[in-house]
Amino acid sequence: MSADPFDCALDLLRRLNPKHTASHLNGLIELAPDLTEDLLSAVDQPLKVRRCKQTGRDYLVCDYNRDGDSYRSPWSNQFDPPLDESGLGGIGAGGNEGAGEGAVPGERVRKMEVGANEAFDVYRELYYEGGVSSVYFWNLDDGFAGVVLLKKASPQGGSSEGVWDSIHVFEASERGRTSSYRLTSTVILSLATKGSALGELDLSGNMTRQLEQDLPVENDESHIANIGRLVEDMELKMRNLLQEVYFGKAKDVVGNLRSIGSLSEGQRDRDAQKELIGSMAR
Amino acid sequence: MASHKDIVSSFIEGAPPGEVSISPFLPNIKALTLHEPGLVKGLGPAFEKYNEEQFTTVKLPGGSQQVVVTSHSSLGGGRYFDVESSSSFEFDHVTRKASAVQSYVLEGPQSDLVKSTIKALGPYVKEHFPNAAYGAYPIENDSRVAVIIVANKYSPNNFWNGRWRSLYIFDPSSGTLEGSIKVDVHYYEDGNVRLLTNKPVSLSVPSGTGAGLVREVASTEKKYQEELNRSFTNLSEGAFKALRRQLPVTRQKIEWEKVASYRVGQDIGGGSSRR
Repeated sequence: MSADPFDCALDLLRRLNPKHTASHLNGLIELAPDLTEDLLSAVDQPLKVRRCKQTGRDYLVCDYNRDGDSYRSPWSNQFDPPLDESGLGGIGAGGNEGAGEGAVPGERVRKMEVGANEAFDVYRELYYEGGVSSVYFWNLDDGFAGVVLLKKASPQGGSSEGVWDSIHVFEASERGRTSSYRLTSTVILSLATKGSALGELDLSGNMTRQLEQDLPVENDESHIANIGRLVEDMELKMRNLLQEVYFGKAKDVVGNLRSIGSLSEGQRDRDAQKELIGSMAR
Repeated sequence: MASHKDIVSSFIEGAPPGEVSISPFLPNIKALTLHEPGLVKGLGPAFEKYNEEQFTTVKLPGGSQQVVVTSHSSLGGGRYFDVESSSSFEFDHVTRKASAVQSYVLEGPQSDLVKSTIKALGPYVKEHFPNAAYGAYPIENDSRVAVIIVANKYSPNNFWNGRWRSLYIFDPSSGTLEGSIKVDVHYYEDGNVRLLTNKPVSLSVPSGTGAGLVREVASTEKKYQEELNRSFTNLSEGAFKALRRQLPVTRQKIEWEKVASYRVGQDIGGGSSRR
């Protein structure tokens, strides 16, 4: 029996400190260079921010708007640095389908991408009250796909700091008047705080959830509304989950390691309660 | 550029509580380094470092209590000692098994303090740690005493593992106690979340007795855990909330069909844009 090296690498990344995913990723690539492309596209990392030269607006970069060393701005649709040649309709100059690789979406999909960027800019302002958002679409044979990115960092200099990265990748398969959406969402959340009584505390990680849903589609605007609702619901769910895991679960585990109160007194109380319940039942 | 051995050693060093020895951590590393079969065999030093830094616990053959593996209890040559059981033993850092147990009688100027500290530690640890090992050891040519508490709780079926480590170095000549408390929690159901804390401790124990020392440790650890619990609440109410709201100010989800009009209507965020 030999395990698949790719699965082994992913399993290691699931166990190693999520704060240092980038350096673990580099180490794994060094160990197994064959896995480079697969790992880079499978492993989500905190998003980087760039400024669009044409519009002056910030945008987020990831594998989906990258071609070599260039990134496409969702605001101007231009690559920076500019590419020599770029294909249309999601087919790159090298004949590659999908995002990046010199591909810009076809006219219809780009129009939806522009609409989605405007819509998620509103979403970002309402939920994040700051931060940066970017949406990238690309053509598929039976529909289209895209990624919704959101990033917010707390201001530097406070006693605690945090960074939130959302990465929502979806595929929309169009079947007449309905469309089938497949969404994979990852949130990377990193929090740190320190103080004289506390010392240092770092609480970092990532969580991923998936869902599939068929929704009615009247026109291209309804695609944007559908994706908007899917992402909004997913983020609400994930925010609640993160709150539970980061602050509830982590605290519970610490309480499982060490009890602030006396364990024997706790046991006596539980025994007394049991006895009381027992006597009431008799 | 880091060597493959360095990379793998760093993986071991960063392994979460309770996961370095279990499948599939090590098998994963083996699968990724198939072309270098010698690599895993050469990881002894990395495991030794991990075990000593993490205060790995082991049951001695025939014993019932967990004893601690640490640089402070090292006799060299892969042997360690434990005062409470008056034993020394050989420890295999890769298989994490103890063997070749021999009687070990502690002598020297700090032996009384070490023994009284251990005696006081026992009831304290039992009252506050459901699963822990502890020890005290004379170090630095019998000039100081190291005190260790390590608590582990592994729940792989529920996708979490945790470790609490306390280390204190007591200097009898000055009555000072210096050390640190470290908590490491890993949660990995459909994700990977890690809590890592480090609280430096510096206090004085005027009485200089084992009982006095443990009293200070107990009160320090209680205060720390309360502070830690407060910081979870503070982070949740503070930094976390400030990153992303649960709902917009309007307390309503977005009407996506009308989202284009939000801008024009200036009705977002209660009309206050902070951009």
